[in-house]
Amino acid sequence: MKTNIGKKTFVGLVSSALVALSLFVIPTSASANPVCATAGGIKSCQGKTSDGAGYVLQAPLNFNGTAFIYSKGYRYPISIPGVWDVAASSVAEQVPGPSAAIKQTTAVALLSKGYGLFSSAYAKTGWNADGALKTNVELIAIWKKEFPTTKKIVAWGESQGGFITQALAENNPGLIDAAVPLCMVGGSVEAALKMAGDALWGVKTFFDPTIKGGGYSAGAAGVGEQLIDIGKVAAALTALQGGLATGAWPATSKVPDAIKAAIPSRSALTMVGQMAGLPSISSHVDGVSGPGDEKSLAHAQFVAGAAPAIATLQNLSDAAVLGILLIADLEGINGGRVFDNNGVDYEKQLGDAKFVFSSALSGFDATDILLGVLKAAPRDTANPAALTKLRAMASHKGVVNVPTIAMTAPFETVTPGGHVQWLINANKANVAAAKAAAVKAIASGKPATTPKDNLMVIWNLPPAKYTTFTATGSPDTSGPAANGTKHCNYTSKQLVAMAEIGALAAADGKLPNAGTVRSLMRKAGGLSFDRTFEAALLKFYATE
Amino acid sequence: MIGSFRKKGLVAASAIVAIAGLALAAVPAQAREVGVTATSIKIGTTVPLTGIAGPGYAKVAPAMKAYFDYVNANGGINGRKIEFIIKDDRYLPPVSVEKTNELILKDKVFAIVGALGTANNLAVNSRVRLGSRGVPSLFVNTGFSGFADKKKFPTLFPLFSSYRMEAKIMGQYIKENFAGKKIGLIYQNDDFGADALKGFESAGVKFDVSLPYVSGTQGAATATTWIQKMAAAKVEVVYIFGVTTATAAAVGVAAAAGYKPQWIFGSVGADATTIVGQTTVPVALLNGALSMSFMPDAADTTDEYVKFFREVNTTYNNNATFDNNIMAGMNGAMMVAQALKAAGANPTRKSLIAAIESKGSTWASAGYPPIGFSSTSRVGYTGFWIGKYNLTGSLIPVEAKGTIFTTDSGNGPVVKTTSKRPALPAKGLPN
Repeated sequence: MKTNIGKKTFVGLVSSALVALSLFVIPTSASANPVCATAGGIKSCQGKTSDGAGYVLQAPLNFNGTAFIYSKGYRYPISIPGVWDVAASSVAEQVPGPSAAIKQTTAVALLSKGYGLFSSAYAKTGWNADGALKTNVELIAIWKKEFPTTKKIVAWGESQGGFITQALAENNPGLIDAAVPLCMVGGSVEAALKMAGDALWGVKTFFDPTIKGGGYSAGAAGVGEQLIDIGKVAAALTALQGGLATGAWPATSKVPDAIKAAIPSRSALTMVGQMAGLPSISSHVDGVSGPGDEKSLAHAQFVAGAAPAIATLQNLSDAAVLGILLIADLEGINGGRVFDNNGVDYEKQLGDAKFVFSSALSGFDATDILLGVLKAAPRDTANPAALTKLRAMASHKGVVNVPTIAMTAPFETVTPGGHVQWLINANKANVAAAKAAAVKAIASGKPATTPKDNLMVIWNLPPAKYTTFTATGSPDTSGPAANGTKHCNYTSKQLVAMAEIGALAAADGKLPNAGTVRSLMRKAGGLSFDRTFEAALLKFYATE
Repeated sequence: MIGSFRKKGLVAASAIVAIAGLALAAVPAQAREVGVTATSIKIGTTVPLTGIAGPGYAKVAPAMKAYFDYVNANGGINGRKIEFIIKDDRYLPPVSVEKTNELILKDKVFAIVGALGTANNLAVNSRVRLGSRGVPSLFVNTGFSGFADKKKFPTLFPLFSSYRMEAKIMGQYIKENFAGKKIGLIYQNDDFGADALKGFESAGVKFDVSLPYVSGTQGAATATTWIQKMAAAKVEVVYIFGVTTATAAAVGVAAAAGYKPQWIFGSVGADATTIVGQTTVPVALLNGALSMSFMPDAADTTDEYVKFFREVNTTYNNNATFDNNIMAGMNGAMMVAQALKAAGANPTRKSLIAAIESKGSTWASAGYPPIGFSSTSRVGYTGFWIGKYNLTGSLIPVEAKGTIFTTDSGNGPVVKTTSKRPALPAKGLPN
């Protein structure tokens, strides 16, 4: 079905149609037929799945037969006054994107190309991969019923949604034709929990031991405890920012005074980031630029000594706050404490950072002293039953059943490239095992199927240099975050390119050739396709 | 893709072809290795051209290029010209990582050669993952003993005698010659310095004053605190195990303060030209300072390698002031050229590594001690000679010329022996 509407006009109409979605009446009963309307050349429907998750379906009148089911990311399960509102986040989001404007541009672009878009709000906020998987399976059936000309389904999702996308492809490969996980959580939620939990525990241990950091109460009391913890983390980070130049520690720190007098707080800050596995670059700190003359001692000292700490400070706010909310969320779901760092060797986790960031850590002797503080500090202990339940939640096997094109930024804040690296490694091992099995079968005269490597990874890399400096020599943080930093910080062009690569894979039943992918990536900008690139594994996997 | 065939023979034959095809698909027939064309081989390095370790070390890579230009002017390697890319990492490990990624991803080099710095090379191998990517890193400019661990660094070859060897050999010399004197140590507080500490421990040397410094802080202000502490403790022998800028800062501050200990300079921070260039002290002030080297002194024009490298320097390196940094650069480049030649007419990264393992220990180089490369060993040079600076900044052997001390990076003994270095090949080119 095609229309004769000119492209420019069509885009305008699509935009109007997206805005008009809010005017719909959502069916009040779950599983009732969706309520649909057509405006601006777009048929839009809303409804609820059997678990009560609201959903949205949209396709242009010239629907080309390929539809994208989008799984959104983790949305905080509690409201944070002035920062986050749960009710406002409990809605279906049709497409990925770091802002409403980018989502709008991306959706308009895809609908204009004839693609269908659908997604659910999930039945609950917070971590909900198990529930969302069931919701998505049901939603695909609803879509196909409403849009019977559908030929191909591409699953895509961001962050937790990337996890759900991969899980959907592993468990229900017959329902989708290609998968595009973006900035995904890979393997299990425990990997993300560990990174955020280690970061939070590090902040607590070095800078404010009154941070609760786990064992939150149920209900409103627990929400209050989380908000207090968020306030304490914010206060510690503010104090650390003030101490970047002077070396002063937050007043709330209980580290022995002799250590605080000898070692600047920025070294402990750097250690927290590095032992947790946070990136050493951030939205405004590229890790290689410094103020003034590159040949000067001051420049070298900034790059080697200060930049890693400033980057950690920028990244830590995301990681530590996520730690609080994710720990509390998973404790609530599983009925007890889930973060456990007994027996964790933080020196091992610090790994190569000990020499890569030797200056920022104030040398080997200071590093050993700080590690001693971590070693002596009380550890968190999980409730065994809760931990067992956590580990029974949805997880990945690393099997790539359908053509899958993952995109991630190796140095992003919340889901660094180590998540995807886990998938790469697991897939490689699975493909190798399948090849070995095929060879063995053939040797014994049995039929065999040549295994296919269905995984392609596109890296969202930051530019080599992007830090600018103020007149006083500090990194200028007033501009936008650099490409390849922050969480799921993609442009609309990059997202549309990924969608098109996914659609090509779905159409052909195989990964697109590298030339086609590179051509689309060039148009999008800021993306890299290099099969030999390896991101650092998360500490959860690297120290297994 | 193979379907579910029913005829047994067909299944087997087709499947074998297909499975074999899987492996072959990645490397098309007749394909050349990354960085290798019919007429060129592209290699690259990361070194400090500027920054805190730039003085002195900035001369290493241009010296390498000068030797490669000389090789190119004489027909190249197996008919291919060497294209050499130099990246300035300012001696900052994160920058080394960034620049090495550029060399591999953007410039698509065949191999990394002569990358400089212990922490820098550790960072690169860990974060760029040269080993798992199969990218060779030849003859790194660092003596960190850990780089000889083939399992950990499967594509990396160190060349320098290790810091542990150096500390063991000089440690023994200290025990024999400075017994009863107060001895102090200034060292870089990272793997570079830690490697030496292990060597001193093996030698049984104990320091009365031990001052670590954080890399990047070795300016005059920091050196002032070192000298004040050493002088206050009445230290008579000061060993500086740091980069040249640390040595220069200490010597300069000490001279200004009138503090005159017996200096011992670690080999990597001992180039007289660089030390003097960094301070206002006259070269004569170095007179009597001890140091060690595995190569002939740059001022020793009676040595055939020194003579040859000086000629190359004159023609291909703008006649730069010839010193030990230039010697190290050209010597490493000569080893690289022999490795590229031995890798064969159609070199691959694997054939390059195999060539060094099988033949590298026999190649010509200026170094006096034997080279330990084999299929199981990644140890480069295995010893040093000990010398004392004269009034003009030349390092003069304390023993008969050609006397060297060999040892290992473990607890093996220090053995005094005589060098049996291979002669310079015809025209200084790989055979």
